[in-house]
Amino acid sequence: MTQLATEERVGPRRGLLHRLDVKGSPYLYIAPFFILFLGFGVFPLIFTAWVSLHEWSLLSEEHTWIGFGNYTKLFDDPAFWNALWNTVSIWVISTVPQLVLALVLAHILNQRLRGQTFWRMSALIPNITSVAAVAIIFSQLFGRDYGLFNWVLGLFGIDKIDWTANTWSSHVAVATMIIWRWTGYNALIYLAAMQAVPKELYDSASLDGATSFQQLRKITVPAIRPTIIFTVIISSIGGMQVLAEPLLFGGNGLTGGSDRQFQTLALYLYEVAFGRFDFGYASASSWVMFLIIVIVAAINFGIISRLRRS
Amino acid sequence: MRRFTAVVPIMAVALAVAACGNGDGDDQAADDGPVSLTIATFGEFGYKELYEEYQKLHPNVKITERITKTEDHHKNLAAHLATNTGAADIEALEEGWIGQFTANASKFVDLNELGAGDIKSQWPEWKWNVATSKDGKTIGLGTDVGGMAMCYRVDLFKKAGLPTDRAEVSKLWPTWDQYIETGKKFEAAKVPGAHFFDGPTVMYRSILGQAPIGLYDGDNVVVDSNPEVKKAFDLSALAVTSGLSARAEAWTPAWNAGFAKGTFATLGCPSWMMAYIQTQAKDASGKWDIADVPGGGGNWGGSWLTVPKQSKHQKQAYELAKWLTAPEQQAKVFQKYGNFPSTVTLYEDAVIKDFVNPYFNNAPVGQIFSKSVSTMKPQYLGPKAGDINTQIINGLTRIEQGKQNPDQSWQQVLTDVKALL
Amino acid sequence: MATTLAPPPRHVSPPPTARRRMRRALRRRPGKLTYLMLTAIAFFSFFPLYWSVVVASQDNSALGKIPPPVLLGGNLWFNLKRAFTMVPFEKALINSFLVAGAITVSVVLFSTLAGFAFAKLRFRGRNVLLLSIVATMMVPTTLGIIPLYMLMAKIEWTGTIYAVIVPAMVNGFGVFFMTQYLSEAVPTELLEAGRVDGCSTIRLFWHVVLPAARPAAAVLGMLTFLTAWNDFFWPLVVLTPEDPTVQVVLSTLSAGRITDYSLALTGALIAILPLLVVFVALGKQIIGGIMQGAVKG
Repeated sequence: MTQLATEERVGPRRGLLHRLDVKGSPYLYIAPFFILFLGFGVFPLIFTAWVSLHEWSLLSEEHTWIGFGNYTKLFDDPAFWNALWNTVSIWVISTVPQLVLALVLAHILNQRLRGQTFWRMSALIPNITSVAAVAIIFSQLFGRDYGLFNWVLGLFGIDKIDWTANTWSSHVAVATMIIWRWTGYNALIYLAAMQAVPKELYDSASLDGATSFQQLRKITVPAIRPTIIFTVIISSIGGMQVLAEPLLFGGNGLTGGSDRQFQTLALYLYEVAFGRFDFGYASASSWVMFLIIVIVAAINFGIISRLRRS
Repeated sequence: MRRFTAVVPIMAVALAVAACGNGDGDDQAADDGPVSLTIATFGEFGYKELYEEYQKLHPNVKITERITKTEDHHKNLAAHLATNTGAADIEALEEGWIGQFTANASKFVDLNELGAGDIKSQWPEWKWNVATSKDGKTIGLGTDVGGMAMCYRVDLFKKAGLPTDRAEVSKLWPTWDQYIETGKKFEAAKVPGAHFFDGPTVMYRSILGQAPIGLYDGDNVVVDSNPEVKKAFDLSALAVTSGLSARAEAWTPAWNAGFAKGTFATLGCPSWMMAYIQTQAKDASGKWDIADVPGGGGNWGGSWLTVPKQSKHQKQAYELAKWLTAPEQQAKVFQKYGNFPSTVTLYEDAVIKDFVNPYFNNAPVGQIFSKSVSTMKPQYLGPKAGDINTQIINGLTRIEQGKQNPDQSWQQVLTDVKALL
Repeated sequence: MATTLAPPPRHVSPPPTARRRMRRALRRRPGKLTYLMLTAIAFFSFFPLYWSVVVASQDNSALGKIPPPVLLGGNLWFNLKRAFTMVPFEKALINSFLVAGAITVSVVLFSTLAGFAFAKLRFRGRNVLLLSIVATMMVPTTLGIIPLYMLMAKIEWTGTIYAVIVPAMVNGFGVFFMTQYLSEAVPTELLEAGRVDGCSTIRLFWHVVLPAARPAAAVLGMLTFLTAWNDFFWPLVVLTPEDPTVQVVLSTLSAGRITDYSLALTGALIAILPLLVVFVALGKQIIGGIMQGAVKG
């Protein structure tokens, strides 16, 4: 519906050049992506698929063909499934608040503010702060004995929480880091989309006495829906590949806690590939992870489409 | 499946091309022609002045050093070895990683073939063995070592009514059992805000390191059958369940702060830990002292220099590595940067013998650390030692966190270790 | 995928100028509460960054204090000098600028072109192609470095910044983002009108799409620059410390067995100053309202 349907309107008299333009130019415009992907993206994919069928240590010269051995091993690997559940759990408690907060933040930033550039830029600051500093700060905040959060909880008479030790608490902590780092990033994406919403819509709404929150719900959200879909898909994909935050929270330990309680899929993959140098098994995990991400993204897309229809 | 067969030719081409980087002797530069050597380290080697000296001695050699973070360095090296291209002429390896590389010695030059056997006696046997594969290929020459001692807080010991003189403190714990007993006495004195030790990690590693056979017996992983492994685990677990631990995980802010605050009274100390304590607890000079480690020998940390097979200047690279690791050069590095030498001949030298550290009440740390290094038994580490140790230490952490009792934890360790193999 | 998207919102007849002016006066004026909230958010965003300045201005022992120090020390200049003498920072900054700049220009341009095609043009295989672009984002990239390195060795790009620039010159994120943005931001009627007037596709792109894409292009530019600037996994493998990007020298600065955080965070500070400059420059470009003018004009 939103596409140009030029062919029907423009008669054959327009000439060959025009037809070529209409028919051919779209392919020309998308060609750079596919050329580069063919050049640098396809080979790694095929190569890891090939490697995944072998017993293949990064350091060894000999690579033994084992067919789907790595895949069958993977399905019996509790560490892999544990990592999958951790990933999903952290994803759920980080993504929803993150996107909602981002939307609200973008809505606030979309006003005519004094010092607009400053406020907008501060949204990206968490993302450019050195991860070393972030790691130290967060381990101070979530410290067991001297941490700020436990101190605050103590004021309400709540016992100290050993944040890294428990599954739920470590997930909350990792999700907090994710929300802190990525909310501003998503807010800027929303902010860009909001620029295309006609300002007059807000004006008439104001005249009708709509509150700021009503404007966000009734005008902004429907108008930037494609971008909201974009962020949901992107954060499904990104959330399934979370690596930096659990790595930092665990003090650079690759197992994500003493009982792998906050090891994500990407961290497990990293442990296998660059901790144990088991490239074959890591490649198999990588492919299964890819399939899981496809499924998760598809489910999310389905949910969104349904929500929109209802 | 069809897709994969179609892919084979592409793969073969790529692999063949990647293999082109392999320097196989033929294209080696003539011995005395100008040669440019790269050496990749992870930044604690203190070689800067030595390069200049070497270049003066050998005007035809130009040296470039690449320094990266320890984790990045080993990951890069693995990538460069896997693709047979991109590695430096000399690559340093750290203790925690070398096991996996030694197990795949074919990617490195066997230094014995270049005459390293003649200088073997410079190092303690264990240091040489760690860099030697089962079929006798030696891939690396030892640079520094950590050694092992026990750092303790004089003021806290005094409050707990324990002796404070280092000779007497050493006498408190000839064995690890006695170390735990001392710990119980310390806890019984209820020194406010303090526990006996920081956490079980270093203790476990030290006990295991003192056994003649560790995680591996030859090819076999013997975690489940070797009583020495169980002993190391049980003793560390006992120390934790006896309430001796301050539960300060190494490198966390709480641990860092513990040095100045005095939240733990003892800490397993390799030589490089001295500098760390000095920066973390700048104003606590005199409060920390150093005694012998229970059970005698021990080591944590230290590195080796290797020559990857893909180097185009293997011989010149070996000459440089040999010169850098020679006792004279190790002595220079020790004096300027404090990296503890691995060459035993130096331990009789005044450089080490008379070395005291004023921050630690003038403790004769040269003697303490060299004793621990030279009495250490050679133990075969095995390719997956690092990963297995991680699982065991995770198990001890679970006990410390109150998630499991020692039996449950050990059962899970056995399952986890099995999953690695 | 894009066919299932909602059609862009249509607003009924634009109000006459006089009324518009009156309404503008009514437009939401952010109150004190808004600024209070923004200040709180900014505080949480800035605190770790501020704290890295604190550490960078002290010596390494600062980390051993509880509570940690929150005031500046006097060591910043000393640490800056140390950082610049230990690593070739000037070269790294130039390289990073070249890398991130080239990637940003290329990603924004190619993504806008492709996004235009996917959002507004009709061609065979459109949905499948767009889906496959989205799918490329789902591939875990961790393991890609090994085969990619083999590829780069084959074409002799290892150690050069081409190896970092070229594979990143276009990505699924940008194309998908622009597709979604343009599908809502550019009115199809406008393009159709242009077509009827005999505009070629590229002229439509240049005169209609590109101006409308400005806010999104600015944000995409910022995010791309940021990602390219911060990327370290691949540059560390393929570049050498002799000819590094900023992230490679940062690895060198934290290389000791025991990290010298005052030095490492000083390096990190040097590394983000150029980012701030780029952000401010691009941030000013996030302005809407251009299309409204075009539609009505």
